[in-house]
Amino acid sequence: MEREEDLKINLEFISTSGVYKTPFSLIIIVQLFIGGLVLLVINLWFINSLYYLLTGTEFYSFGLKAEWYYWLLLPLNIYGNIFLFVFTVILFSASIFKLLNLISKPKEGVFVRGSKEWKYMHRRFWTVYFPIWLARALPLPWLDIIAYRFFGTRVGKSVVLYEGYIDPEFVEIGDFTMTSLNICIFSHLIYHDKVIIKKVKIGKACVVGPHTIVSPGTVMEDFAVLGVNSYTKINQNLKGNLIHVGTPVSITLPIQSVEESQQKAVKVKEDITNSEGAPLDSNLKEV
Amino acid sequence: MFQPASLKGESPVPIDERIRNRYLLLYILIIILSFIPCSLFEYWYVVYLWNETLIWLFFLFLLLNALGAIYIVQFSALLTSVLILKVVNLIHSPKEGIFKRSLEDRDYLFWNIRNIIKKWPLYIIASNPFPWFKNRFTLRFFGVKIGRGTICDNSWISSEFVSIGKNVIIGMNSSILSFGIEQENFILKKVRVENNVLIGAKCVLLPGTIVRQNARLSAHSYTNHNAVLEENLIYTGHPAKIQND
Repeated sequence: MEREEDLKINLEFISTSGVYKTPFSLIIIVQLFIGGLVLLVINLWFINSLYYLLTGTEFYSFGLKAEWYYWLLLPLNIYGNIFLFVFTVILFSASIFKLLNLISKPKEGVFVRGSKEWKYMHRRFWTVYFPIWLARALPLPWLDIIAYRFFGTRVGKSVVLYEGYIDPEFVEIGDFTMTSLNICIFSHLIYHDKVIIKKVKIGKACVVGPHTIVSPGTVMEDFAVLGVNSYTKINQNLKGNLIHVGTPVSITLPIQSVEESQQKAVKVKEDITNSEGAPLDSNLKEV
Repeated sequence: MFQPASLKGESPVPIDERIRNRYLLLYILIIILSFIPCSLFEYWYVVYLWNETLIWLFFLFLLLNALGAIYIVQFSALLTSVLILKVVNLIHSPKEGIFKRSLEDRDYLFWNIRNIIKKWPLYIIASNPFPWFKNRFTLRFFGVKIGRGTICDNSWISSEFVSIGKNVIIGMNSSILSFGIEQENFILKKVRVENNVLIGAKCVLLPGTIVRQNARLSAHSYTNHNAVLEENLIYTGHPAKIQND
């Protein structure tokens, strides 16, 4: 336990993430192959049936006789192939993910390079990488939420997972939460030869502002707001009904209406000019 | 990792519009040249397999063929652009320094031409599901040194005048810029990142930065022009300063 405490002090300042390239990352090829195989079988059957409708003979008898309404499926075949591919890849890798979880149960804590946890963390990440990449490449904004749910992330209802990076495990997001552009929600953090894994919990109706980083171990209570361009420390607790700003988060502001905040801003300006206008100006010049 | 497609994008390199319009034909030429090996491959595929004995092979390898075609386009785009880049560098070799942002300045002109040449391969490889292709594979062809065991897949790195050591971790959405634009001036300066460095998420390294061994840069910070981050120290802030405990 003492070693763990030491690590925490060093880790506080930096939020770096990403995973190493391991031989297991070639699982992308297996996922591509399985997705392609399903596509091939379905398309062969479909083309075969259309050929039967046109000529009355078949390349190969599948046992299913084609009907006239198979023509209606033609437009679906062209665009639906993409979705079929994505869903088979998601389902296949979700089952591999479950299998990996059965072999070695994911644990929170600090792990050294080369240990079993380190290895399995990398394996889990490379399994998840390709399906979520695919889900994000399609023009359906809720597809990545479905993909995340397949991989065991608890995502509430009517959540906006906008354009950003979110770890697939040890993340819990409550109902009606919004995350904005270019955010990073990390539940793991690689620090040279160690990896720290800690659960991130985001409550109900939270707002995670643009360009923010949520570090492992952060708990956002219900109705908390994380301001623009700020990041949280490891194991930080953000209280509800407040706006949190800072790098790392150090300032809290009350949530209020626009008029109120404008009035306050005017007051603050007056105070500054009355009492200590000169030193503040010089400070600004230095910056 | 799995950022959305809109953020993966290609380079945030601001190519001068006047120069871009003039060299549009060069850009299109690279695109056309990169499709030639792919079309030869497809021609070969149809000619050899579209007959009565081998037709089952044609259908069996159809998906692999599609995948192969994509990768052939990517590699040929890379190779043609590297070849043209070599020729352009013979005419005018890339130099560091401070230049004027005008069409008369040859260094500025050729920097833009180099970026026009690199644009197509970088764009097409950014849309690749294998994450290590963009930075680790492509940038090494363009002359960027990247050591072994380095994580830099999620960051944006300039395609010239950058060297990165071994076992470096570069955080998500960080950018390493070896160029800078300031009013009328244009700066090109080498960025050097030495071994075992740790750079946080969403950091920006401006041109001329040297990060020495084992230095650490905290998340959300940027380094100044020509800054030097010393060994074994932690830096934070805007611009980065030594962390006081």
